[in-house]
Amino acid sequence: MVLLQLLLNGIVTGCALGVVAVSFALVYSTTRIFHVAHAGIYTLGGYLAWSCVTHGVPDPVALLLAMLACTLLGALIQAQLYARLERRGATHLIVLIASLGVLAVIQNVIAAVYSPNILQFPSAWAAGVVAVGRLRLTYAQIATLGISLAAFVAVLLFARLTLLGKRIRAVASNPFLAEITRLEPRRVYIYVIGIASAVVCVPGVLVPLDLGLQPYGGVTPLLTATIAMIAGGVGSFAGAFMLSVAIVVFQNLSLLVIPGEWSIGITFFIFVVFMLFRPRGLFASA
Amino acid sequence: MRGRGCFWLVAAAGCAWLIGAAISPAGAETIHFGAIVPLTGPGAVIGNQEMRGIQFAIDQANAKGGVQGNPVQVQFEDNQAKPDQSVLSFNKLVDLQGVPMIFTGYSGPTLAMAPLATRKKVLMVNAGAQSDRLGTASPYLVNTIPSTSDEVKVMVRYLMDHGKKTAAVLYENDAAGIGGRDDFVTDYQKAGGKITGQEPTQFGQTDYRPALLKLAGTNPDVLYVVITAGMVPLADQLHQMGGHWLVAGSTFMSDPQAIADPSSTGLIHTQVQVNAPPELAAEFQKKYGAEMDFFARQYYNATQIILTVLDKVLTEKKKVTGQNLRTALFEIKTFQGLIPMEFNSNTATVPIAINEMRDGKDVTLTTATAQ
Repeated sequence: MVLLQLLLNGIVTGCALGVVAVSFALVYSTTRIFHVAHAGIYTLGGYLAWSCVTHGVPDPVALLLAMLACTLLGALIQAQLYARLERRGATHLIVLIASLGVLAVIQNVIAAVYSPNILQFPSAWAAGVVAVGRLRLTYAQIATLGISLAAFVAVLLFARLTLLGKRIRAVASNPFLAEITRLEPRRVYIYVIGIASAVVCVPGVLVPLDLGLQPYGGVTPLLTATIAMIAGGVGSFAGAFMLSVAIVVFQNLSLLVIPGEWSIGITFFIFVVFMLFRPRGLFASA
Repeated sequence: MRGRGCFWLVAAAGCAWLIGAAISPAGAETIHFGAIVPLTGPGAVIGNQEMRGIQFAIDQANAKGGVQGNPVQVQFEDNQAKPDQSVLSFNKLVDLQGVPMIFTGYSGPTLAMAPLATRKKVLMVNAGAQSDRLGTASPYLVNTIPSTSDEVKVMVRYLMDHGKKTAAVLYENDAAGIGGRDDFVTDYQKAGGKITGQEPTQFGQTDYRPALLKLAGTNPDVLYVVITAGMVPLADQLHQMGGHWLVAGSTFMSDPQAIADPSSTGLIHTQVQVNAPPELAAEFQKKYGAEMDFFARQYYNATQIILTVLDKVLTEKKKVTGQNLRTALFEIKTFQGLIPMEFNSNTATVPIAINEMRDGKDVTLTTATAQ
């Protein structure tokens, strides 16, 4: 029973991280920017939703408002920071450092405005428990599972079926060709980071609904998501999502046989060994 | 005309200096102390309480004219609860500012600074960290809070008296958590109890479910918790799991938000009995718009002790150095602040209570000392 519960909890958390990985993969595979500030947007989304909820806004509306705000912030970062740096010939390293700077600013502004305390959502429904036999899931976990899966499917469908999705894939595939065929890559980059920011806001709100908010809480999920994206194969959304779930489930289940302090170390050791044999990732396209 | 203006300016400044010298006590100068506490990061919740407690006591003393006419100032440094940052802050305060005394908190950072305190003869006062190693880390480190082992002794005795013979331990994977775990495991087994499992968590972590599930699988009577942050999510997740174990811990558990959380009902913990008189608590509330909680009271009390020690050093017309402050502290030995406290060693002896969180309140069940 403990094994089943650990598996279930791992799948829930893995799905949330999978959405972070997919959104990060969307940015990285299109813009080639290592958008570390994504972790800040993930965190900010939760805090904005928390503010709305504490002011009486219903939880679903709070989520949508937070997504909207994150979309605007993401687009702003691309249009006013990354694009400017690119125009001035900045290297990827410079852009990474700038992104780290944005992350630090977001985290510290959040800590200054909301305090560094761990904040809990005042949504009593989220703590309710559904028990099937001895298996237990909170409503917040069930919402996380359902909405994360829906967000993942939505991103896949968006990329494959919509005009903008196809345009993004074209730009990701060959930015130079996209430029001369008037697909306007720079504008697409703004759309991409805006959309990815909205997507990452979903787990940014749902996870804290269950586990609470912390100003510095976005970095660890982004780290795991980044590893999942690389191991899954850069450019493969399904790979990033599945590897996220696999990593978290493995971490959870490994507790049954090894002490917790070894869990993360062994998981990432396996990742390193895996990358030695398959450096392009599990689902990389040729 | 311009030369005459300068003359009057110089004359006026001279008069002002003479008048100032006449009305201020001879030799009055500002005395500088330091405080290295986490003001950002996951430890900032406690660090800010500590800062307020210190500053509140200092402001009160300065409002009464300082210590023997000398105003006191405390320079705060943010260590983010990190040992490496603490060492940098220590060197800055001691080498550049020349402070003779530093307030500290958190076991890892305090242990990192302890050898420096010994070498540079700077008194360090810890009122929040509880690792056992702090008791012997440096002759210049004094602790106004009992060590974890003292609290553990009281808790183990209570658990055994109530027939709780098997226990699992959830601990934070750092100096404070590991120290608490080791103390509990040793004392509990010595008292005839059996440890069924141990699981670590990381500082600032809020997802305890995997570790709790694993520990619940060992069917203990008691879950002993040694974490310094994230009590509210832990209480919520314990409640959602619906476990049938008694959850016990130390002073680390006394997070006001956790106490107020209905999920915490039934949790028991040891608690250093440092209480603020109502008028003092009201004044603090008025000044900071926040309750004077445990760590604010602890550091207020520690600051009062240091001000008493400073008063003795100044009375004896000694230089305010770390060495003289330390000697004066052990000469006074017994302090009656917010809590009676005696220094027979570097760690003060104080009464310890067993409290139960019940419907938003922290209710004292019994009080004892480690001895």
